[in-house]
Amino acid sequence: MDLFQLTTNADTAEHSDALDTAALREENRRLHRVCQALMERVETGGSADGAPYAAFERSVLLAEQVRERTEALHRALDELGQVNTRLLAAKAEAEAANLSKTKFLAAVSHDLLQPLNAARLFASALETHALPDTSQTLVGHIGRSLKDVEGLLGTLVDISRLDAGVLHADKAPFAVSTLLDALAEEYRQVAGVRGLALHYVPSSALIESDLALLARVIRNFLSNAVRYTEQGRVLLGCRRRREGLEIMVGDTGPGIPEQQREAIFLEFRRANQPQGAHSRGLGLGLAIVDRISTMLEHPISLVSRPGVGALFSITVPYAAATAITSVPSTRYALLAEEAQDPLHGCVVWVIDDDLAIIEGMQALLSSWGCRVRAAATVSALEAASDGEQPAVLLVDYHLGEHRETGIDLAARLQRRYPGLASVVITANHEAEIKRATREAGMHCLLKPLKPLRLRMLLSSLLNKY
Amino acid sequence: MQRLRDGVVTTYSAERGVITAASQHADTALAAAELAQVLRHDHLGFVLFFCSAEYDLAALADALESCFPTTPLSGCTTAGEITPLGYDRGSIVAIGFDRRFFAIETALIDDLDHFELANAQRLVDTLLGRCRQQALAPINEHSFALTLLDGLSSREEQVLATLDAALGRIPSFGGSAGDDNHLSHTHVYIAGRFHTRAAVVVMINTRLPFEVFSTHHLTPLNHKLVVTDADREQRRVIELNGLPAAQVYADLVGVAPEQLSAAIFARHPVAVHIGGQHYVRSIQRVNSDRSLSFYCAVENGIVLTAMQPTPLLDNLEAMLAGVRARLGSPSVIIGCDCFLRRMELEGLQQLDQASQLLRQSSVVGFNTYGEQHHGMHVNQTFTGVAFGSLPAND
Repeated sequence: MDLFQLTTNADTAEHSDALDTAALREENRRLHRVCQALMERVETGGSADGAPYAAFERSVLLAEQVRERTEALHRALDELGQVNTRLLAAKAEAEAANLSKTKFLAAVSHDLLQPLNAARLFASALETHALPDTSQTLVGHIGRSLKDVEGLLGTLVDISRLDAGVLHADKAPFAVSTLLDALAEEYRQVAGVRGLALHYVPSSALIESDLALLARVIRNFLSNAVRYTEQGRVLLGCRRRREGLEIMVGDTGPGIPEQQREAIFLEFRRANQPQGAHSRGLGLGLAIVDRISTMLEHPISLVSRPGVGALFSITVPYAAATAITSVPSTRYALLAEEAQDPLHGCVVWVIDDDLAIIEGMQALLSSWGCRVRAAATVSALEAASDGEQPAVLLVDYHLGEHRETGIDLAARLQRRYPGLASVVITANHEAEIKRATREAGMHCLLKPLKPLRLRMLLSSLLNKY
Repeated sequence: MQRLRDGVVTTYSAERGVITAASQHADTALAAAELAQVLRHDHLGFVLFFCSAEYDLAALADALESCFPTTPLSGCTTAGEITPLGYDRGSIVAIGFDRRFFAIETALIDDLDHFELANAQRLVDTLLGRCRQQALAPINEHSFALTLLDGLSSREEQVLATLDAALGRIPSFGGSAGDDNHLSHTHVYIAGRFHTRAAVVVMINTRLPFEVFSTHHLTPLNHKLVVTDADREQRRVIELNGLPAAQVYADLVGVAPEQLSAAIFARHPVAVHIGGQHYVRSIQRVNSDRSLSFYCAVENGIVLTAMQPTPLLDNLEAMLAGVRARLGSPSVIIGCDCFLRRMELEGLQQLDQASQLLRQSSVVGFNTYGEQHHGMHVNQTFTGVAFGSLPAND
């Protein structure tokens, strides 16, 4: 390469030493100039003297660095992306595992609830029999123990469902009295057993909530109040607030110290270990209350003075007055005279694929005076029924792997027997099934079936006819 | 090339946030009115224009201000325009920005000799603050700065380096104003009038995707020239390899010194080699003392590499295809195109082909006396910004 075009043409320097010398001198001078310029450049290069070319050079080098950093950043981002992908995969795996755990729990609880349901029905039926006093007491104990198991199981299932996010609120408008009247009645007896008085102040307010979940919250309040109060009374009532109806449960128990007020909403915590044989439960109650409150967006409040008592409340939005749908009234008609008992002599069909349930239902419903026809299939039922017109159908929602759902079956029967009141019974606590039954104009009861609730529903259904 | 019909041409990209328009009218009032007729609408937020230096600039300023009384305008004079139809001369081309898509703020740097880092930081902070107030898009990743500099100020390098330091991660590009190769007066426009020895900074914050780019079509040869005497203030190279600069350069390209011209400079550029890249240092003219004046900073002891052009159209086409691949069909590309490239295209009679390529990619812009890219003052490049479109669901 003729780097600088420095060598002069050989022709011009031809044969003359003098010319050669002159040419070499000239070349030497230019090389000297080049060297000087380069040395000056090397020595001033990098100095921050604000010369224009230096500014340009710095910008170039800066841009170069920016390019390098950008590349490094891209590499880092790529790696981050890969880590993210791995994390997402791990998360999906964990979620799948969680879901399968939830499904497993739901399946187990379903399987547990079935025999428990049957046992409860048998026990209830047994109580109506004329038995020696000692046996009667034992039957009572069995019934209460079964009820406790049922309660614990329900709590565990609920908390796992709430945590897994599979439990969805099914909000509908209803009169608060629908719920509170029944709860007051129920807990008046429980409180009575413990020597406590329950004061209930009814309200005519209409609210909008998920009846079952709200019931769960107030039950928890009431259970706690009864459990922790050694003497005095328990109050159940409502206060109309601008933002909604505040449903309150107060007690004259030991109260909750300030520093424990958040902790009691965590799992497995109890403020004060209660005395005596009444201690039950896993301390899951208020943890559930907290989760349900979050899900329903109903705020919870707690006012307490240690040694004086505690007041738990949940504030529920009002319903538009016109929005009330046909939620069955559960006002107690318990002590109605036998002659007026609408259950007496009415034809009730039961369809369930579990033989123990069929037998249990048969025993229970018969003890209420109903004419029961129970079977696993419609054809078996019709064969046994001598062409009778059924008044009420009780059908299990989940009739087995390859069969129609209880709702579909009930709809089919309703077409054949117009006016047939249908109650779908399910161990599945998902809001969807409840909604589906409501939309089909049917009623829904959850397993384990509570005999009292069933009886109330049947009464109200039969009173319509 | 295709001439502008009826004086005015336009492309409507209102749904993409920009409208471009150009006018051939030599009459400043008519030219401004024609632009206004196309560009004005309820959401017009800013107008950027590039005009021939042939216009009576004072009259043009008045005409523009009366046609766009409520809209801020910025722009500069050119060494040729790129209108929606391609290369043109003696015209004015303008881009109207929709304020629903763009938050645009401008500032004037009128003291180029004393533009310090503190000034730059204050300027950038002010512009970004005003953009942020419009709450159109996050500043990071959604903003860039457009710089328009007086192309004969000899202050580009320092101003750009200082500004770039203040801009940090915000990309920047721009062009040095031209004057149709007269090399006497170049102007930038802001706040109702034209300025010399000044720079305009346009901060553009936008919801549209964009890409700042720079390309050239030159590759290095083996010849090296060492600057052995230079006047850095005047951007003048007096000696190369210890001999008068014009002589050495003329020998290199194989012509007599008196034959040296802009066309020769365009075809035989020289470049400095820094950090693995070649940066062209364009020669402006030959002086009577056989020194060479440059369009950019020079220094004693720098090594110039002789460069040769590769096919310009191929390079341009590949660059535009790359932009399309990354951004989709561009809604508009603002291009700062070195006037030496245009000269080369004219020499090769490829101007119409180039116009067609530019037209197809919705390029508007101007021929510069130098381009600016990320704080660097470069020559003989095509540098600019391409805007994509918003995703359909936005």
